[in-house]
This record gives sequence, C-alpha cells and structure tokens, in this order.
Amino acid sequence: MSYSTLNRLTPYIFLVPALVIMAIALIYPLGYMVYGSFRSWDPSQALPDTDFVGLANYISLWNDPNFHESLMVTLKFAFSVVSIEMVIGVGLALLLDRNLRGMSLLRTLFILPMMIAPVVVGLMWRYMYHPSVGIFNRSLEGMGLGSVDWLGQHALLSVVIADIWQWTPFIFILSLAALQSLPRSALEAARIDGATGWQQIIHIKLPLMMPVLIVTCLLRLIDAFKVLEVILVMTEGGPGLSTEILALRISRTATEFRELGVAAAMSNYLLMLLLLLTIMMLAYNKVLEVRAARARRIAEEGL
Amino acid sequence: MLQKLKTLGLAVTVAACLGGQAMAGPYDEFAGTTLVVNFPAHPHYNAVMKILPEFTKETGIEVEVDQLPYLKMRERQTLELGQDEGDYDLIAYVVFSKADYVYADQLENLARYYMNPKLADPSYDADDLIDGYVYNIGFAGGNKGYLQGKTGSLFGIPYGSETSVLGYRKDIFEKHGLTVPETYEEMLDIACKIPELEPGMGGLSSRAASGHHASHAFLLHLAPLGGRVFDDAWNPIVNNEAGVQAANALKTIVECGPKGASSFGFGEALGSFLNGDTAMFLDTTVVAGQIDDPSKSKVVGKVGWAMHPMGTRRGSQTGGFGIGIPKNAEHKDAAFLLMQWLTSKKGDKLVALAGGNPSRFSTHEDAEVNAKFPHMKTFGEALQHADPDWRPIIPVWGKINADLGTTLSKVLTEDLDIQEALDGVAERTKAVMEDAGYYTWK
Repeated sequence: MSYSTLNRLTPYIFLVPALVIMAIALIYPLGYMVYGSFRSWDPSQALPDTDFVGLANYISLWNDPNFHESLMVTLKFAFSVVSIEMVIGVGLALLLDRNLRGMSLLRTLFILPMMIAPVVVGLMWRYMYHPSVGIFNRSLEGMGLGSVDWLGQHALLSVVIADIWQWTPFIFILSLAALQSLPRSALEAARIDGATGWQQIIHIKLPLMMPVLIVTCLLRLIDAFKVLEVILVMTEGGPGLSTEILALRISRTATEFRELGVAAAMSNYLLMLLLLLTIMMLAYNKVLEVRAARARRIAEEGL
Repeated sequence: MLQKLKTLGLAVTVAACLGGQAMAGPYDEFAGTTLVVNFPAHPHYNAVMKILPEFTKETGIEVEVDQLPYLKMRERQTLELGQDEGDYDLIAYVVFSKADYVYADQLENLARYYMNPKLADPSYDADDLIDGYVYNIGFAGGNKGYLQGKTGSLFGIPYGSETSVLGYRKDIFEKHGLTVPETYEEMLDIACKIPELEPGMGGLSSRAASGHHASHAFLLHLAPLGGRVFDDAWNPIVNNEAGVQAANALKTIVECGPKGASSFGFGEALGSFLNGDTAMFLDTTVVAGQIDDPSKSKVVGKVGWAMHPMGTRRGSQTGGFGIGIPKNAEHKDAAFLLMQWLTSKKGDKLVALAGGNPSRFSTHEDAEVNAKFPHMKTFGEALQHADPDWRPIIPVWGKINADLGTTLSKVLTEDLDIQEALDGVAERTKAVMEDAGYYTWK
C-alpha cells in the first residue's frame, strides 16, 4: 500500500472503532427487530426457529382497529403534551430570565419533577387522583364541589396533566439556556430603538431561540411517543383503550399476547413515524436557516 | 473368649454398616446440593421464605431463591426456559403460563419422579391435594388440552393457589339486620342497598379497570351464573344469556360500589375494603392475611367469610401459582425433593402457619391452622367448588383476555351496550381462534 493511499485512508481507519460499536449497539438490534417483524414469533421460540410470514404482521396491524385507536391516542397525547409543555416551559423561561434573589434555588426546584423516576411519578399521581383518598377529590369536596372520577371519566386528561408536570421543566431548562446565550447586542439595540418587551420576545428572542426550541420540541416529541411507565402505572391503558398509547400496546403485545413479531412490526411503524417527524422538523429548521441567511445577505447588500 | 469377642465385634461392625446403609435417608445423596429457584414476590411465597431454612436443616439441600415481581418473573422465565442449560432448578409459574410452558415442552412431566421409589415419598398422599387446583394448575393434555382427563399428565403442583370467597363486614350486616348472601340475586341486592343504608360506603369492591382486571371480575361471575367462554367445539359463547348476566352483575357491582370503582385494579379494590369504604369484597383468598393485619387494615376483626355466592351453580375461581421443574434444570431430582417437601402435609401446614395459602384439604381442616386462622375452614369448603375451567388456559388467551377486558371497561365507563359489546368480543375471539387453528377439524 502506497504512502498516499494510507494517508487517504487514515481518517477512515480512525472511524472504524466507532463504526464497530455502532454496528454492535445500534445496527444489530435494529436489524434483529426488523427481521423479527417478518416472522411469526412466540417468546418461547428462538428467532431462527420461527416461520417467515412476509408482511402479514404489518398488514394485520393496518387492519386492526385497536392499533388504529392506540395510534390516535398516541398522536393526541404527544401533540397535546408537547404543545402545552412548550408554551409553559418557554413562558416560564422568559419570565425567569432575570437576576432575582434566590433564582438559582427556584430553578433547581423547577427541574425536580423530571429527576423523579417515572414509576414513582405514575404512583404519585395515581394516588393523588384516587377517587376517595386522593388530594384532588378531598380538596374539591372540602370546597363543597363534587368529586371527579379522574382516572375513569377523564383518564387521558389526567395522564396529560401528569406528563406536563413532569416534563415542562425539561423545556424550561433548555429554553432558559438558549435565552441566556442570546447575543446581548441585538437585545440592547432593540431596547435603544424603543422595542417593547413583547416586541423583543416576538421579533428577537423567539426567532433567535428557534433552532434550540425545534430540537427541544423534537426531543420531547420523540419521548412523548415512547412514554410508557407513567401511563402503565396510572391507568394501564384504560378505561377501554382511551389511554393505551403505542408503547404500552407494544409492551402488551409482546408480553400478554406473546406476539413478538407483531410487537416488532408495531415498533417499526412507530420508528417510521418518528423518523418522518424528525425529518420534517429538521427540514423546517433548514428552511428557516436558509431564509435567515438570505435575509442577512439582502441586508448586507443593502448596506 | 478373645475369639468370641472378636467375632462379636465384627458382627456388630457389619450390622452397623448394613444398618447404616438401610437407614440412609432419601436426602443423603443430595446433601450439599444448592438449588436455585425462582419464586414471585407474593404473600404466599413470602411465607415460603420463612420455612425454607427448615427444609435445608432437614435435608442438607441448600436453596437459593430468586424472588421477582410476578410479571417480571414470567419474562425472566420465558428467557431462561428457552436456554439449553437453565439457571433454575424449580420455578413457580402463574397459572396461565402452564399452557405456554407445556406447549413449548419446557416443563418436566412429573410421572417419572413419582414412579421413582428413591424419590417419591409413600406418605405423600396426593389425593389430599385440592382437586380443582391440581386440575387447573398442574394438569395439561387432558380435556380441552389444558385440564385433567384420560390423556392428561401432571406437570406441576399447585403452590400458592387461590380461590374466590366473599368477605363481608360483620358489623355492618349486623347493624342493618342483613343476612349473608348465598345467591347472586341476594348479593347484588345487598350491594345496592348498602350505599343507601350507609351513606358514603360502597356495596362491593371489585376489580374493574381496563384489561385483565375487568376480564377477571367478569369471569368470576360468569362461571357461577352458568356461563363459559367457549363451548366444547371452541365456539365463543361469551355473548349468550349467562354472559350478559355476568356483565350486568359486574356493571351493577361497579355502579353500587365505592367512588371511582370503574378504574379499580386489584390493589384499589382491596384497599377500599381494607379502608372500610365497602361492605363486601368478592375475590381471592390470598387477602385474608392482610385483612387481619392491623398495620394494613382498618377492619381487623370485623370481616366474616362466606362461600362465593351461587347463580345457577357453584363455581369459584382457581388461580395463583404452581411449582414445576424446568426441562433445562441442572438438579432435577433434588428439585423434585424440594417440591415434594413443600407440598407434603408437613410442608403445607408449615407454610399455612407462616401465612401462606395451603394446597391440601387436610391443612384447611387442621386444628392448629384453624386456631390461628379461623377463616380456613370456610376457605376449605369453598375449595370443594373451585372450578378449574372458569377461564380457558390456552396460548391465545392473553389476546382474548385483553380484548374482553378493554371491551368490558367500555361497558362500564362509556355505557356501551352489553349485548353489542359481547357480540363484538365473540366475533373477534372467533377470528383469533381461527388463526390459531382451533377450527382445523371442522
């Protein structure tokens, strides 16, 4: 091998360990799941002993009303929690982006919920929602208002509230970091030009925070599509299928129904959906960047 | 003289040797062996942990226990039993795992152990084991494939099994002059009278949450009301008159039950009874210990026990756990000895006294056990009617059970019409059974 060839190959040689680790840790399990999704696979069987069924698992899911319901519940849950969390999280960050006494303690307190294990969060909320001994109903009754059947009649709303409580701090902390790294010069210029607080938020802070907000939103969305423990503990997917999100259905399909092939196919549908969302959001970010670059260029040409 | 003494000495030595050999205990060969067993975190198995040192003391066989939450235990076993060499010598399995493990040829047929004179204890008295439990948890390959019968074999022994009984608040019943219900009609009537007589109190607390909770509660009523999930040709008949009656019974119980009853799992239903929020509790016998435990219960000494009320017939549930030897176990013979010891008359009594669920009729009648747990006699009577076929134990049951449970949850929370709901379940069940090959011979 000539010196120049070796020289050209050097960067790739350095990449080899990373590629090997990726192949073992990422590609192999993914491939295993994709391979399993084409087979009729019972947990008692080793994968090579199973029968090949082609696209049967995917087709049966496509025609399964329970899967459709689960998918709808997932979409409803994910989009509602992420939108509300984004509004509250960014709002709180804008509100608390100032030097007040005790602010660092307040910030630490704000992020506590996301540090608690999801199973504990689920249990905590389940008991707070308890029809007779839960704090919510006791308070409502104490105020002379009637009690509410939280996990019976308003199950989806109840799990949405619990998720918002747990994950808004995540948006808050990232938004606050984004806010604090904004160029002070732009904000100062705006202030000198007489921009009001709202104008600064709408025209300067939010547009400049946008790349971070998009990534934050994407991370939360991916997480919301996969949330399992809190809902499992709080409602087990019920009543009916009203809170049975896809991750829970996948888990039940694998463990209760013992249909690993179908569970793998369902995971692939979820993966494709998340992939699509990721591509869409990154593409949107790219469009924004291109548009900003164009505006900058025009502004520079105008000078 | 010396010669005589020498002969005598020799004779004594030989006799001692021969005698020693004849006296060798059945456990000697296995002394020093360490068995690894997999048990669930469950009140019965917590009691088992207390008696295992007694087994080791008596036999010299050490026991290492891997105790897991029962759903986790099932997952772990699915992985373990599929290996060529497994880690576990003895496992406790939940009843619906029987179908999966036996069908996958992962559990030892126990015949050859009971045929082995060196292992089988002649005083074991298998006839004393509770019939319903043995047929439900131990047998496979007989009637319908999952029950006893001429083609059936034994793959496990019930251990930590349970049936259903009615717990009722003696003080509330006495206060209002109510008689303990013997029939479904009486029970439903009292369940709906209680909230009127005792404002704020529910009639009967039952599981009702979506999924296996609601399904379990429905099936609990289906058998005594004369119903079944399938007929003899595997046609779903869950939507017949008895099925509708059972769903109606569940709906009435939830409507007359404590606040929020439609989202109750087993824990909440029991908690409500322990907290004094309901007057009756119709479920498993396994709760008796907690009801008498002042640290967990506000109704200590106030609860009476009665048989599961009858509809057109008696039929209480059978469930819980059994113990079996995995095909890939390392110390199968020693594992059998542990299994036999635990389920022997002596072991069964020991575990009952430690707070476990006995598997033998004789233990339920034992004076010492009854002196400590007075409810044991009623439980023993209820066991005469334990129905091993109250729910099917077939590999596709998980899927059917989930559908039944979520549909019934819709009946309870969304006012879905009962007949329409059960017709839907029957139709979907038929499709599942068709896919699984149950109509191949039609």
